[in-house]
Amino acid sequence: MINHRVLGVIKRELKEKLFSKSFILTTVLFPLFLFFIAGIQVFLRGDEANTKLSIVAEDQKLTDALQAELLTTDLIKGGKHTFQFLTMSREELKKYLDENKKLMLDDKLTGVVFLPRSVMKDKKLEYYSKSPTNISLSRKIEGPINKVLIDTYFNNRSLSKDELDFARKGVDFSGYKVSKDDKIKEEGYGSLVLSYVFAFLLYISLLMTGQMMLQSVIEEKASRIVEVILSSVNAKEMMTGKIIGSAITAVMQMGIWLGAIVTVASSAMFALPPEIMISIKTSQVVFLLVNYAVGLVLFLSLFGMVGSIFDNPQDAQSGMWPVMMLVMIPFFISMAMLENPNSPIGSVASFLPFTSVIVMPVKMTVVDVPIWQLVSCVVVNIAAIFFIFPIAGKIYRVGILRTGKKPKWSEVVKWLKYKY
Amino acid sequence: MYSLEVRNLTKTFEKIVAVDNASFEVPDGSIFGLIGRNGAGKTTTIRMMMGIYLPDNGDVILKGVKVGQEFKSRVGYLPEERGLYKKMKVLDTLLYFAELKGKTGKSVQKKAEEYLKRFELYDRRLAKVEDLSKGNQQKIQFISTILHDPDFVILDEPFSGLDPVNTNLLKDIILEMKSKGKVIIFSTHLMDFAEKMCDHIAMIDRGKIILKGSLSEIKAKYAQRNVSLTYDGDISFLTGNQIIEKMENFGNTTGIRLKDANQTQQLLKLLVEHNVIVKKFNANDISLQEIFVELAGKEDGGVK
Repeated sequence: MINHRVLGVIKRELKEKLFSKSFILTTVLFPLFLFFIAGIQVFLRGDEANTKLSIVAEDQKLTDALQAELLTTDLIKGGKHTFQFLTMSREELKKYLDENKKLMLDDKLTGVVFLPRSVMKDKKLEYYSKSPTNISLSRKIEGPINKVLIDTYFNNRSLSKDELDFARKGVDFSGYKVSKDDKIKEEGYGSLVLSYVFAFLLYISLLMTGQMMLQSVIEEKASRIVEVILSSVNAKEMMTGKIIGSAITAVMQMGIWLGAIVTVASSAMFALPPEIMISIKTSQVVFLLVNYAVGLVLFLSLFGMVGSIFDNPQDAQSGMWPVMMLVMIPFFISMAMLENPNSPIGSVASFLPFTSVIVMPVKMTVVDVPIWQLVSCVVVNIAAIFFIFPIAGKIYRVGILRTGKKPKWSEVVKWLKYKY
Repeated sequence: MYSLEVRNLTKTFEKIVAVDNASFEVPDGSIFGLIGRNGAGKTTTIRMMMGIYLPDNGDVILKGVKVGQEFKSRVGYLPEERGLYKKMKVLDTLLYFAELKGKTGKSVQKKAEEYLKRFELYDRRLAKVEDLSKGNQQKIQFISTILHDPDFVILDEPFSGLDPVNTNLLKDIILEMKSKGKVIIFSTHLMDFAEKMCDHIAMIDRGKIILKGSLSEIKAKYAQRNVSLTYDGDISFLTGNQIIEKMENFGNTTGIRLKDANQTQQLLKLLVEHNVIVKKFNANDISLQEIFVELAGKEDGGVK
């Protein structure tokens, strides 16, 4: 099957792709882009306007306790948040609010937190502000206020400090991963991050590679070079060469990306917090690349086939959606699987051709997958290639020499019966 | 000795018979023309010969053996609709096409450079194809057709869309290939070119081969009673004359079919008597165009 002609086509594809600007750019810039996005999110979360809050309690004791607690928290240190502590009754508050209305509307005063006397019974407090739904602010003062309320509540009831501490605590889930050989170990968010990275990289790479394959076939068809090539090479050899060339490029790029991630993950330089430390195993990378290489052949056969049907990119876009669905659905399945790694759909999808290309590597990051499942996933994809490739090859062979009117799908099905 | 035989080729596209049981023979060392108007089935026939289409029926035989992939490597093919990779460099393009034919290495590169020098494109060898003018792209296409030193050159409508310089260049290449003993097969709807260049022809109309053989024999067969005439003056008096069977005006020349082969002198005499200035009087001569029109009819404007 692989002869000097196919090799020639592969070589040309590699030369064209590997040295293209877009390849170099995406290979280098994409990881940078990922870090950039991550950085922006961190930045956005940290970006808060200065706030000035009035903490108003009906009970002087409560006011003092709140003042003592809040002024010792980290909130005050950055200098971004300032508080004033007041004691007044509800009637006085009304007056106070009226007086300060203009300040609040002008953002000079962010808001007023009111703790009525009843707060010691139902823990309900009131927040008056221009934007009362500011979650990030309420989250920050929620803890200290709760602490003060609990302390005050239990103060008279002869409880030890330990007992108080316990009552104050929320629940905290720690995940422990049970696997076959290793000892049970505590797991942070690292594997979850890795799952996202795997799913995202595979998804993006599949879309890009597929899109490029599609465009290259359309270009060959539109520029009429295909007939020159077909006078030396038969259609199947040409398609094989193109698919293998593109697949090699994409797998190389994926390898570079993963290599960058492994480097980042294993270097102390970046000093990631331990709970999001990515632990990446060689077996995961190797499987991902092997599985991806096989999957690419499958996907690229379809992209090549779609490209051969149409002779301009506009028509091809409309014809491409069924194949795009095949890329998008596994991406969404793997996203859903992160919430629930044992979902039946995820398990089935990790074996089905097309979907397993993304789903299985992602599954591998969240649960331990036995070897037989990995092997059968690859075998299923290879079997699918033997089924899909001849069909795609046949349509490619007919389509690549057709020009003119955009064919209907029913016509394309008829091409399968043609003797070409 | 025939080098290439086409036997009973048939190809149907959704009930339309594009090529219908076509058979012809291409002799060794000849320039062979496949002639017919647009849509007659020339390109389909050639694509089947190249193995780009699989025929519904029939074979292409090379020295007694059905052709296969190894034949493709021995052929240089110039399709009617030509194309090159626009972003590829000129020299890379040439080497790539040669590589697909199984020719690699220094010798091919050297040869490619020689051709580029000859066609005055050597200094552009590292330029991208898209940066070349259309005429120069055509030259690159010619070179890629013959660079691997094929035994057969198959050209589909080679003269369509060529500028005069490249037309002459291509003619030179064809004659040079012939002198090297190569077989050249080309299709054309331009009878003029075919008549000037071909040794053998096959005429195809509506998918059927309607005439084939050596051009000189065909002409001899159809030329009897035929006179081609170049003149100044008025020859309308000949219309309806009893010795004339048919007259056809081709602009520069007029083709005249006599009722009897012995009447040529009589015709010449009539012309002189009517003060027609005879510039060229060619008895027993017929153009391919006339033969074609006679065989295929002239209801289609595609033939000029």
